[in-house]
Amino acid sequence: MLSKTQERLLKNVQKPARYTGGELNSVIKDKDAVKLRYAFCFPDSYEIGMSHLGMKILYSLINARADAWCERVFAPWPDMESEMRKAGVPLYALESGDDLRKFDMIGFTLQYELSYSNVLNMLDLAGLPLRSRDRTELTPIVVAGGPCVCNPEPLADFIDLFQLGEGEEATNELLDLLIECKEKGATKAEFLRAAAQIEGVYVPAFYDVTYHDDGTIAAVTPKEGAPARVTKRIISDLNAVYYPENFVVPFIEIVHDRAVAEVFRGCIRGCRFCQAGFIYRPVREKSANTVNRQAQCLCDTTGYDEVSLCSLSTSDYSQVEQLIPQMLEWAIPQRVNVALPSLRVDNFSDELMEELKKVRRSGLTFAPEAGSQRLRDAINKNVTEEEVLRTCAQAFRGGWTAVKLYFMMGLPTETLDDIAAIAQLAQKVVNAFYQNPDKPKGKGVTVSISVASFVPKPFTPFQWEPQATMESLAEKQKVLLENVHTRKIQVSYHQPQTSFLEGVFARGDRRLCDVLEKAWSLGCKFDGWDEHFRFDSWMEAFHACGIDPGFYANRRRDFSEILPWDHLDYGIRRAFLEEENRKAHQSVTTPNCREKCAACGAAKLNGGRCDAK
Amino acid sequence: MQNDIRIFFTKTGMAKYISHLDLMRCMTRAVKRAQLPLWFTEGYNPHLFMTFARPLSLGQESLCESVDVRLVGEMTFKEIKTRLNAALPADITVLSAAKPVHKPSEIAYADYEIRLFSQNPTELLAAIEQSMAKPALLVQKKAKQGRRKIEKEIDIKPNISAFHAQAEEACVTLALRLTAGDCNNINPALLLEALCRDFSGEIQNTDILKKRLLLENGEVFC
Repeated sequence: MLSKTQERLLKNVQKPARYTGGELNSVIKDKDAVKLRYAFCFPDSYEIGMSHLGMKILYSLINARADAWCERVFAPWPDMESEMRKAGVPLYALESGDDLRKFDMIGFTLQYELSYSNVLNMLDLAGLPLRSRDRTELTPIVVAGGPCVCNPEPLADFIDLFQLGEGEEATNELLDLLIECKEKGATKAEFLRAAAQIEGVYVPAFYDVTYHDDGTIAAVTPKEGAPARVTKRIISDLNAVYYPENFVVPFIEIVHDRAVAEVFRGCIRGCRFCQAGFIYRPVREKSANTVNRQAQCLCDTTGYDEVSLCSLSTSDYSQVEQLIPQMLEWAIPQRVNVALPSLRVDNFSDELMEELKKVRRSGLTFAPEAGSQRLRDAINKNVTEEEVLRTCAQAFRGGWTAVKLYFMMGLPTETLDDIAAIAQLAQKVVNAFYQNPDKPKGKGVTVSISVASFVPKPFTPFQWEPQATMESLAEKQKVLLENVHTRKIQVSYHQPQTSFLEGVFARGDRRLCDVLEKAWSLGCKFDGWDEHFRFDSWMEAFHACGIDPGFYANRRRDFSEILPWDHLDYGIRRAFLEEENRKAHQSVTTPNCREKCAACGAAKLNGGRCDAK
Repeated sequence: MQNDIRIFFTKTGMAKYISHLDLMRCMTRAVKRAQLPLWFTEGYNPHLFMTFARPLSLGQESLCESVDVRLVGEMTFKEIKTRLNAALPADITVLSAAKPVHKPSEIAYADYEIRLFSQNPTELLAAIEQSMAKPALLVQKKAKQGRRKIEKEIDIKPNISAFHAQAEEACVTLALRLTAGDCNNINPALLLEALCRDFSGEIQNTDILKKRLLLENGEVFC
């Protein structure tokens, strides 16, 4: 419930329903009847945050406990922020309207590096000190999880503790500990010391980092009894793990406005550029029955007319052939559309396509990632040109007239010929459309190619590689456009500046904390949004702190260097990543995990089990 | 068999921040959750047949919203009401379901209750009464000329069919009857702008509540 003062702000802002709460299935509890209040913060707009599956899972999981109440908080859009600051209204949670200082735990999810400035802005808007050491009371404790936590160092000074890996079990353990500490009147230091003993919990203040003269790390030394290496948490049995029976259903349209059924975690592919493909290992599948039951339950409780299967590569789900007919049995009579994102071109069957067409036809997107076969081999995207063309031809025969192809530029070992090959491949797809004898009359084809700039990420074989400079990316974008000769091909690409900043923070260390705070104080926020991204202010911040961003983004690391995340264990052996890196430079591929186990090491997290085998 | 029904509902509290477009989506999901036996259009992309009598402006509350749907099976009005209320978010409440009597195009007037919060209600009331005493109340109304968006100046005094204003402790209360409907609709917010133009103080908050819809002959729309 909002107060009159809070409500008064809404008349001057766009999309006020972002800030009201009260959506269907949002959870209201009696605050005096719970022992712990949790504010789940997504450091981006409501529309982005509400689309995030992890938040939905943890929101419901915490609220399933009688002794805790979890509420949602999003970054207010700048128009709302300015109203709040003008009126002196601190950042509040949507369910109760209470400000964040009243909460016991504030949890941020770190999904992308460009949201870090929003984390700081939200803490400040809540009236909390930014730095962990300046928040001396036991509560609120500020925690963070999500994929970016695999290198949390650029936020080390601001966050009290990081949760590595999957949160379903560790979150409950942390809540139990905090309730216990509150009841016995423990200090924040006592809580953090005990929390550091929970598997998967990383308390950055308990690690001293020293540096060599050249700026590289000399040593990371644990203290206060914290473990020398923190291992990420995983859920062993996905059929048994908690999954929400309902989602909060927003009033306004959000990015992914549908029910989501998770089918598996991890990925069998091992594409060398893909961080998600490594940090979510080992592969663990849900049974078709579980997925079907959860999907149907969500559609019933939310009223959504679309359910999407969620995983890193849905067509790699071993039970996809059983699952789809099972789902369509109830989905068709209920007019529910089953969406299958993340399909691969190499195992997209006619049958699957026919099934997909039964409810509603959506767009088709494929990701060859690189234009030439040599480069696709180097990045281990085990897809051939024939497969791409065959799948597109198949889609055209099935009546589709638009396909979207995803590529990257700035990949290790890439040359200008590889860039030209992107345009050539797109042209061949256009040709495939016109070679189809049954093509629909009077309809043209649209091939959209979206070219992202490659950013090397921790825990991938490319974690040692230099990121392409902004100049070289701009040059490559020019070459690409010069090679496109038809308006049937539409090209879109990223700003090289945002990719550069993402690259700096992806592989940054603790010295970036000062830069982040400085940039925030210069007004940087919503960096992932072109209209708010202020590159000049970021460069000013780097300059003011005496830090060269190129040191983090564009430098080749030696295998012998201690990386800022080397004391975190995501199950993947470093030697495996080094070997994959060597193979990339020789354009040698590694078979997918189902064909042959590459012994990455992640199975040890699950007692040696991996569903890819 | 064609079985049209009209669902009357209120949209108050925080629900006033739900736009018309968002309300349509919200209703679609609610009737799906409520498992009403509803008719879908039979075109290429089947969708729910659903018609709202009048759209409600963002930020305004209402006790007299209605939406028409078409049933393909049997269900009592009471059952429809109970199921929908269980499926709708708080602040949107179904009052009744019934056979439609009038066409939405017959709507001619709407009654509003408005509260203008101010430190100085007496002065505000004086300013409003002064405006009302003028021969014309000119406002800029957004309109369309073909596909072009234009602003035209109109006199909305003839659109006020009943007017009562009184000052209370912290606000001025207005009871208004304005023309409403497809061609002669007046948004009360537009009128307030004209009424308060000469008030020098600050209006902290404005509550606008739509209370009922009426036909030309004064009958309540149902």
